[in-house]
Amino acid sequence: MEGRPADDAELFLRAQRGSVDAYEEIVQRYQQVAFRTAYVITRSAAEAEESTQEAFVKAYRALGRFRAGAEPRPWILRIVANEARNRVRSAGRRQQLELRLAEGFRPGDAAPSPEAAAIASEERQRLLLLINQLDEDDRLVISSRYFLELSSEETAAALGIPEGTVKSRLSRALARLRARVEEAATSA
Amino acid sequence: MPELSELEQQLRALAAEIEWPATPALGGAVRRRITSTTPRSYARPWYERRWAMAAAAALLIAALLVAYTPTRNAIADFLNLHTSINRTNVLPTPSPLPPGPLGQRLGLGNRVTLATARAGVKWAIVLPSGLGQPDEVYLQSPLSGPPQGEVTLVYGSRPGMPVSGETGVSLLITEVRGNVSETFFGKIIGPGTTIEEVIVGGHRGWWISGHPHAFFFTGTDGEIRDETLRLATNTLIIDDGGTIVRIEGDLTKQQALDLATSLS
Repeated sequence: MEGRPADDAELFLRAQRGSVDAYEEIVQRYQQVAFRTAYVITRSAAEAEESTQEAFVKAYRALGRFRAGAEPRPWILRIVANEARNRVRSAGRRQQLELRLAEGFRPGDAAPSPEAAAIASEERQRLLLLINQLDEDDRLVISSRYFLELSSEETAAALGIPEGTVKSRLSRALARLRARVEEAATSA
Repeated sequence: MPELSELEQQLRALAAEIEWPATPALGGAVRRRITSTTPRSYARPWYERRWAMAAAAALLIAALLVAYTPTRNAIADFLNLHTSINRTNVLPTPSPLPPGPLGQRLGLGNRVTLATARAGVKWAIVLPSGLGQPDEVYLQSPLSGPPQGEVTLVYGSRPGMPVSGETGVSLLITEVRGNVSETFFGKIIGPGTTIEEVIVGGHRGWWISGHPHAFFFTGTDGEIRDETLRLATNTLIIDDGGTIVRIEGDLTKQQALDLATSLS
């Protein structure tokens, strides 16, 4: 290996042939998006960590079913999301933890005036609050597409719905969010 | 009032500011878990299986009875073990096959008719054309085998197919619901054994030539299972839309592919 990182397809092939090193590399590459997907579903960092780890073990056992040439991300995310949903179901309760904004400015942002920054931050907080108050289906599809930045195929895999349903569900979720934004603006 | 596109822009901008919990490093933990368990251990431990507990209890009772001298003598008398045996110089008729029914010797399950096997499983059993009906059919029940059972078709002797000296049969075709676990192919490749991926009638398959002894697949319950290949000879495995068909025999690759293509 002359320093060229193996692409995902190559890693999956090697893992399918029994290379644990290759599979560990796969885990490292996908653990962030997998963990965050599980976090959006479980709303708990601990549950997300456990379900992600479990999902990676299950995915290893199921490597034989991964078709050569298929996209690995949706395949992994489907297993992770299933595991996360099962945990939520078996826990029989909903975590109260909600998505929050990080403190401070984003790197690369021009420093705004303190007043402008406070207003912008407040607007973003309000928008995130409205998203957290949406129905589960709406919250998940918006979080998957915009916060996790999943593709349509990956969103379908994560939500366990057909890819053709993602667009319509997202459209309806955005319409409902927009209505809430408008409602909040008029009542402010 | 933001337009939809403006709302989407705001959402995109928000993505960079979400406070995510720190992503745990899972590589090491996952590696430890997958390397510390063998495929067998994915199934429930032996001591959790009722039949194993019953068998262990029966063995223990039998051992205690045999250890007790009066009982041992009673058993020996009953079995007539104290009778002396007169040996004769007449050699027995040579028999290349070990005694006992084939299914029992090879652990194939219960011998049934093809109709019973068809009624006993949820999938459509496929047969190769040109070989006639199988000579024997065995059904492994879910209690002692895979979750949806397993069917083995035995073809004793067919033109152009050598008969195994160990089993006395030319061909075994085994059918089971599940998915082929390519992950474990490494475990069945020994010296002189090669695996080649093939496509048969649009289905993926693997031609394993040499002396493979085991085969791994994922059952419908998600558990990894390993099975002994009975003939330990060339084997063609086909993933026929969720049914794994295994063709074992001392066949050439072309013979095996022709048989697989004729399955219906």
